[in-house]
Amino acid sequence: MSTADRCAWRLEIGPALLVYMKKRRPGFARYVDVAKFILVLAACGYLIFRGSEQLGYNWHWQSIPGYLFTVHEGHLQIGPITAGLLITLEITFFSLLLSALVGFAVALLRLSGSFVGRLLAMIYLETIRNTPLLVQIFFLYFVMAPILDIGRFATAVLALSFFEGAYASEIIRSGIVAVPVGQWEASHALGLNRFDTYRAVIIPQAIRRILPPLTSQAVSLLKDSALVSTIAVYDLTMEGRTIIAETFLTFEVWFTVAAIYLVLALVMSFAADQAKSYFQTA
Amino acid sequence: MNKQKTPAGNDPIIDVRRICKTYPGPVIALDDFSITVDRGEVLVVIGPSGSGKSTFLRCLNGLEEVDSGEIIIDGIPLDEDEKKRLQIRREVGMVFQSFNLFPHLTVRKNIDLAQRLVRKKSRIEALEFSLHLLDQVGLADMADRYPHQLSGGQQQRVAIARALAMMPAVMLFDEATSALDPEMIGEVLDVMRGLARRGMTMVVVTHEMGFAREVSDRIAFMEEGRLVEEGCGEVFFSHPERLRTKEFLRQIL
Repeated sequence: MSTADRCAWRLEIGPALLVYMKKRRPGFARYVDVAKFILVLAACGYLIFRGSEQLGYNWHWQSIPGYLFTVHEGHLQIGPITAGLLITLEITFFSLLLSALVGFAVALLRLSGSFVGRLLAMIYLETIRNTPLLVQIFFLYFVMAPILDIGRFATAVLALSFFEGAYASEIIRSGIVAVPVGQWEASHALGLNRFDTYRAVIIPQAIRRILPPLTSQAVSLLKDSALVSTIAVYDLTMEGRTIIAETFLTFEVWFTVAAIYLVLALVMSFAADQAKSYFQTA
Repeated sequence: MNKQKTPAGNDPIIDVRRICKTYPGPVIALDDFSITVDRGEVLVVIGPSGSGKSTFLRCLNGLEEVDSGEIIIDGIPLDEDEKKRLQIRREVGMVFQSFNLFPHLTVRKNIDLAQRLVRKKSRIEALEFSLHLLDQVGLADMADRYPHQLSGGQQQRVAIARALAMMPAVMLFDEATSALDPEMIGEVLDVMRGLARRGMTMVVVTHEMGFAREVSDRIAFMEEGRLVEEGCGEVFFSHPERLRTKEFLRQIL
């Protein structure tokens, strides 16, 4: 390269290329971004590794798969972590159904003409939203469960349903309120009664506004379900704690449990996004 | 079908006696307003905006509640009784300025809905009648479209068909053409004209004075919630009695 070439490169082509890469191609900025992120991540990983080494922590990743699955006499058997995962899924599923029901009922109560109905709904909402979920779980478990004679699993489902139901009801209510008033008037003018108006006109239109945020709410429900481990329901978190108590595999088990929650939540979020775009285009 | 006319006052299907309605504000929408409409009559209500025309119309099927006074539709008093209210709404069809079609249902299902749920017709019956009505408003080939796929004029014609599906004794039109592009007003007025010709009792709030003059049996002029003047079409327009009516007509004609 001649001197003139070098000068041209340094003064013109080089800067121009940089400007080109930065401005014309947003992809370039993204690569830099990702590279920085990976660098930070590597640094964190290194620090953890060094830290655990100084702690004298013995990593035993090889024993983790045994807590997920074991092969016993040619049969695949689920380990305690997988069993906990199933319980977590079960709790989430039932709570989801029940919280949708609770949310719907409370939303209708808040929109009803009855003063007492609206008052009850408001008391419920404010109580639930202004007390910690953990306290609600303890209250149900230690106070209500003995009175009502219900088990731990039912208590867990009830507590989560009432908690998430409060938030669901706000989502459902805003979805219903967002339906234009002309739709009510048209239904009334046709002589439809209140029930038919809701069923045939209002709910089908509100549902597309309600479902996407409700799916996101399901992700919260999944994460909040970890709290039921405090009342000795053997969910994913509780199984993790039990294994750690027996084996002291603290790091490995919490990493595994967190990863399982992460994957589940990501899958549900993805479903929520899909629901959102489906209902926006439909 | 010919119009079966009876002299005014003999066979009122709508009997409104001294109704008052105040909105919070307070805005007086209706002030001691009385009027009757005979079976088969076309009453056109005109007046400046805010004169209470739409409120009057919305009181007739209980979309608004009156503060005092009486409304009797086809012999049924409109009061707090929910059953009577639903009964009256079955007898009174309404067409809105903003169409208010159900956007999640096809055109045909918009028209089917009340027949199935309120009149308890079978699916086949409802379907046949819906198609018949669509044919009547000139939209037979649009049955499976959704409202947003139609023009404003077409939507309003569907809305008329939807109201007719209940076989109402009275049709209310609340500025049915006000939200339409000028080139679509004609097609909606044509449908309304056809209804009037077939003897439908109609109460029409409109700004279309040509239509009012041509189709109405009687014109009522309202201002500030009161009935200023009423009269038959031609006479009303050519020789209004009250000064205020003259002023209003001069402004808009």
